[in-house]
Amino acid sequence: MSRIHANIIFGVCLMVLAVVMYAFTFQFPEHTLAFSPKKFPRFVSICLFLLSALLVWQGIGEQRKAAPPPGKSGAGVERAFLMRLGIAILISYAYTRFLPLTGYVAATPFFIAGIMILFKERNWVKIAATSVITTGALYILFRIIFKVPLPRFALF
Amino acid sequence: MAIMEGFLHVLHPMHFPFLLLGVVLGITVGALPGLTASVGIILLLPFVFNLDVGTAMVMLCGAFCGGIYGGSISAILIATPGTPSSAATVLDGYPLAQKGEAGKAIGVATIASTIGGILSTFCLMFFAPKLAGIALQFGPVEYFGLTVFGLTIIASVAGKSLTKGLIAGILGMLIATVGIDPVEGYARYSFGIPNLMGGFSLLPVLIGVFAISQIFLQLEEVGKKEFKKFNQKVGKVLPSLKEIKNIFPIIISSSFLGTFIGIIPGTGGTIASFLAYNEAKRWSKNPDSFGKGNIKGIAAPEAANNGTTGGAMVPLLTLGIPGDVVTAVMLGCFMLVGLKPGPLLFKEHPEVVAAIFAGLLLANVLILLLGFVSVKVFPKVLMVPSALLFPVIFALCFLGSFSLNNSTYDMFIALVFGIIGYIMSKNGYPAAPLVIGVILGPIAEDALARALIISHGDWSTLVGSPIAVFFYVISAISVMYSLKRKLTHKE
Repeated sequence: MSRIHANIIFGVCLMVLAVVMYAFTFQFPEHTLAFSPKKFPRFVSICLFLLSALLVWQGIGEQRKAAPPPGKSGAGVERAFLMRLGIAILISYAYTRFLPLTGYVAATPFFIAGIMILFKERNWVKIAATSVITTGALYILFRIIFKVPLPRFALF
Repeated sequence: MAIMEGFLHVLHPMHFPFLLLGVVLGITVGALPGLTASVGIILLLPFVFNLDVGTAMVMLCGAFCGGIYGGSISAILIATPGTPSSAATVLDGYPLAQKGEAGKAIGVATIASTIGGILSTFCLMFFAPKLAGIALQFGPVEYFGLTVFGLTIIASVAGKSLTKGLIAGILGMLIATVGIDPVEGYARYSFGIPNLMGGFSLLPVLIGVFAISQIFLQLEEVGKKEFKKFNQKVGKVLPSLKEIKNIFPIIISSSFLGTFIGIIPGTGGTIASFLAYNEAKRWSKNPDSFGKGNIKGIAAPEAANNGTTGGAMVPLLTLGIPGDVVTAVMLGCFMLVGLKPGPLLFKEHPEVVAAIFAGLLLANVLILLLGFVSVKVFPKVLMVPSALLFPVIFALCFLGSFSLNNSTYDMFIALVFGIIGYIMSKNGYPAAPLVIGVILGPIAEDALARALIISHGDWSTLVGSPIAVFFYVISAISVMYSLKRKLTHKE
């Protein structure tokens, strides 16, 4: 997707977001004082709509000026990277979901190992050592030094 | 006398190690391309909750100064600035390193950064209390005008596209409207979800937008390129007395230039360093030697970029307006530790202000000591592989987010904002305006609400104060100037 197309698509998406956010303000209560909970969000939504419309207009203007690209347009993102990014997000989401159940000590080494593999580390000794040492170091820092309670195993 | 108390606080054996830790971490993170001084400060945030406020701010100030200096190390050794404000240092730093004088280049950068930082701190100590005294007279109308001015800084830090910068800022303001409204306590945009009633905590937003998004960006670079490995021998560090005497005038003038630039909101280290470099070259008897390893070409930008540290703290401490991207993050840090920057900070927490002044001075002294003592150690940071570094930082980011409220919800928010920050970054939407919008939006709404309630809904009250009108006028000038600058750049 070219930069110009991205500008137009994002602009349209932001305009939709602005409309949706504005629409929700009708559920907010009417003001009893000189200022109500809906005023500021409405002002911000209108600004977002106008700026997004400007972005779309600029994108359309640039599209008319730009020569058609020969073949596939540039500024694309590699498919392999998109897969890595998707997996990184999935691993991260799984970490946030399973942390309260499995506990910090059980979940964190796997999270770190997973991310290291995505960064193309293939030395299993390094992966294991880094995961365990980092988990331990962060445990000492947060649990013991700063006394932040960390999640414990709670599956059964 | 207050500053002496500040020194006593910072030099206390229970507090000094935190300043040292802040400076060391700041230099380390600043030296790593891909991580900026802002990220270094954000990574310290989870730790500062467990410290007293004065020590927390001193640690963050240490990271601020260290981070700005640290960028020079990678700029000199591998021609890749660790922070944007060290971009100008590459021009003469790398050629000098290639001549086998990497040590001297780092030594010059260290001396220049130290002097720049110390001079700017003295300026901060002189100007800030005076400006705070004026700002004490501000009421809601003046504060609203001030936040409008602060929000127009978005236009200045917007990067390449003014429209995208403004959109990022407005998005930040919209994000900040989620949760309990400041006037009637109504939970906006909560959709019945209890977690959303409190809105989005600032720490996970900062961690996501600045740190996690960077990790995603680094994931894209995997296998594509490794940073240039430096192969220069880092030898003699201390320049000769004659060389120091030669660069001293340029260091002093660049320090003041950096301080002045830093005071102007929306500018920052990058502009200051390039301006200083250009001026040094312009006034040089031998301008052709610039770009080929002239030590003045290192001293000028480094003195200027560290000169912005004290300068940028002036509007931050006195008015609560960030001077640049990094102080926008610092503003968030202040709020997170429960301090509201502004004139009342000087009245209600003079001991914290004194500690910050003392901390900034001592941080720059530590930069001098660490820069010379550890000159062979810090460059080794550049050899840490991404596969080792970024997963550890990722884990730290998540744990830091969790530690705020002992809640995995904050980890989830950090992840979501990491994705948002990544998408923004890939499409040219700068992150700093988003953060400025998140922080200043609620302040603007609160000031506006109070002004209208006091005036019984009379909107003309907003232009009834000459100070507020002054802020509106300079806001308009700031936006128009930014627009003109960007249009001129396009031509």
